[in-house]
Amino acid sequence: MMQNKFTDKKKSIDFSLGNLDLSLDLNKNVFLKKLNFIKNINNELFIIRVENKLIPKNKYKIEKVSKNTDVNFTVISIDFSQNFENDFFKGRISFVQKKKNIIDFIFQLSARWYKDIPKKVLLKFPFIINLHKNKNFLKPGDIFDGKKRIKKGVWNLHEYPPSIISDNLGIESLGFEFYDQFPWQANYNLGMSEAISSENFEKFETEVQLTQEFTDIILMKIYTSFKGREKIFSLWKENTRKRYDLRKYHDSNNRWIKKNYLQHFMFAYGEEAFDYKKIQFKINQIIKEGKQFGGYDSILFWHQYPRLGLDESNQWQLYKYLPKNYKTIKKIVDICHSHNIKFFIPFKPWDIRSNESLDSHAKFLEKFIKETNIDGFFLDTMSSLPESFLKIQKKFPSFEFCSEGTPREQRQIETLTSSWDQIGDIRRNFKVDINSNFFRFLFPEHPLNLVSRWSVGSDKDALIKRAAFNGMGMVIWQDIFGCWLPFSIEQKKKIKSLKNILKKYHKYFYGDNSIPLIKTLSKKIICNEFSNSFGKQKIYSIYNFGSNKINGRILKLPLAVIEFKQIYGKKVNIQIEKKQNTFYLLANLDANDVILVNIKFQI
Amino acid sequence: MKSFINNKIFIESNEYTYRVEHLTLEGTCSTDHGPRNVKIKNLLVDKYPVTNQQYSFFLKKTGYQPRDSQRFLEHKLNKKKINLPVVFVSQNDAIAYAKWVGGRLPTDEEWQYIAAGPKYLDWPWGNKFNPSLCNHDSNKLESVNAHRKGESWCGCADMAGNCWEWTAGIHNDGNHQFALLRGGSYFYAPDHWHVGGGARKNNYHWKLQILNEGMNRAATLGFRCVYDAK
Repeated sequence: MMQNKFTDKKKSIDFSLGNLDLSLDLNKNVFLKKLNFIKNINNELFIIRVENKLIPKNKYKIEKVSKNTDVNFTVISIDFSQNFENDFFKGRISFVQKKKNIIDFIFQLSARWYKDIPKKVLLKFPFIINLHKNKNFLKPGDIFDGKKRIKKGVWNLHEYPPSIISDNLGIESLGFEFYDQFPWQANYNLGMSEAISSENFEKFETEVQLTQEFTDIILMKIYTSFKGREKIFSLWKENTRKRYDLRKYHDSNNRWIKKNYLQHFMFAYGEEAFDYKKIQFKINQIIKEGKQFGGYDSILFWHQYPRLGLDESNQWQLYKYLPKNYKTIKKIVDICHSHNIKFFIPFKPWDIRSNESLDSHAKFLEKFIKETNIDGFFLDTMSSLPESFLKIQKKFPSFEFCSEGTPREQRQIETLTSSWDQIGDIRRNFKVDINSNFFRFLFPEHPLNLVSRWSVGSDKDALIKRAAFNGMGMVIWQDIFGCWLPFSIEQKKKIKSLKNILKKYHKYFYGDNSIPLIKTLSKKIICNEFSNSFGKQKIYSIYNFGSNKINGRILKLPLAVIEFKQIYGKKVNIQIEKKQNTFYLLANLDANDVILVNIKFQI
Repeated sequence: MKSFINNKIFIESNEYTYRVEHLTLEGTCSTDHGPRNVKIKNLLVDKYPVTNQQYSFFLKKTGYQPRDSQRFLEHKLNKKKINLPVVFVSQNDAIAYAKWVGGRLPTDEEWQYIAAGPKYLDWPWGNKFNPSLCNHDSNKLESVNAHRKGESWCGCADMAGNCWEWTAGIHNDGNHQFALLRGGSYFYAPDHWHVGGGARKNNYHWKLQILNEGMNRAATLGFRCVYDAK
């Protein structure tokens, strides 16, 4: 229950909301004194600057402190006001608890302007800046490498993971999320989200436009955990996913795409795909060679680009120009199907002519499906599914769409059920980094196929490691529009091994309880945990990103271990150590190595 | 419609520095773009691209039928089109014609010299683009003699715009076969992902990746012939 203590003399307020303990000093402005395990903070909650003049602390007047308790939630509000020069400001700070481990912090402000002419107002939040400076503060996606915070988690969607601060033992943790779903700085919260991820957060001031009515300036969700930062991620994940309608992913008809671990990019114009003497596509050869990678689950046929635009032929007409026109595709599709391989063709949104529309392309697609029996449509350059195409799935329930870019917005994530995780910047010395893709963990039901088309040599090695670390499939693309960049025999073997593991342990890799970047016992090791909600068995992907071999304890395990086995990566000596009823995973791991370990627990 | 004679123009042997400016959006064009010294032997060159009338005559005289006729002369030859450049011809179709008339397709290097000449002009008519001197960004082919002021230094017409022109040879980088096209065409596709269209500069070639003949023919793709001369 809430404990509310407020005295006029002390002008201080201490209260608990769920798992959140706060102490505020209201003598001058509003000072945060304590926040759970973070004590002696003594920072103002906010500072207001009007036309470059700071409103002095003694100008603030606390009007009211109130609490409101309902069966569903508890609200504590602090209303304040201040006169400054000829303007009058009113504000309200509220803490709203609906769940014991998620508390909303809301900051609202209004202004009555002299002569009704608004002024430039900048706001700063010293208490967050102070948290940001704390040695145990992690920006979204960050970990500690022993010396500094480094980014090891990435995401490319319009959900913004929380920053996290933990106690020295890493057990009690608080997460701070500035909820937003927009792609650019459309509101104050996104500004905060972006700013807190940057190096210069202490300088960040948000510009606000104030009217006579209260404006929401900050909507910060505070997540509380006594089980480390992993729990903060789980809370954020659970809270975020609640907004989504993910029925389409669990539709029984059409989710073969979830097992599309390896997609082959079949570039038509090259020796890999085309027999120049026989004037035919080498589909059987491609399927045969695909076995070196563990077998393709789908093939994406590609012949429109870079040929489109030579004349007025559109993307559909180019299929007619293939040998025996549509029949070529039909024949290839039949061969693929006889090997249990799905077949995609691409859609080019940039090739919609003035007399065409998405609806007309949907009609072409429908006709094409009927004539050729293709299984999917690849959305070139896109990260969204047009409504016109969505209708196709109602007629052909098993038909799938896969986009080149990972969908970013809610509607697109709900409707577009697979995509590439494409990384790499064309020929700008791009280095494939091995890190955690948060999208993969937030929406494990959305299959991603990793690709970095221009990567060669050690970058291709890193790409495979990155796929293994994230437990995701790949795109096997070797002929990049006429530039032949094949995988080596060793790389093919590694991909084959990965595919077999993804297939064998599918229910864990795509389980709903997977967490990225769990706490490890080595500062140079990062680890993702894959599991379903039963939790009896987990897979740990472990990466030594340091430059030295690591030998010793790597993970503290959550439960008693029954069985353990390394399932991917160069064989290393792994052991389980039991000490005082706690189980540890030990390994002897070379620098830059990724391994996957499967552990069965006693429940 | 009145037909006209496709004159031949003499090009005197010379050397020049070949240099092509060709950036692909993605992928590569695996040919030596220079700069390198190139020797051009004495040549006769068609003043105009081969026309529908000329190609019809060839068909009539030889009974030529391509092994794979997909899209072959898809535009359908008729009397109204006699002076338009023949299109929907593959490189093989072009070579067959050239052989019959005792000529061949120009090499990529020869084509550039015929267009740019010893003064290395950017466009057939000079160094500044002038869309009124060629068929650029329109919706149809024009007669090969429609832009007399757009002729090159040696008098060759229609070297920029109207239709792309095949050059000789299939290039092979070990994994891909491709041919080089020259001059650009009337068609100017709207997006940067499309083939860069319209009239193109003298020192530009486009890499056409070879596939089956149906894909090797296009509404914008024709040719002209050269003839070895003493």
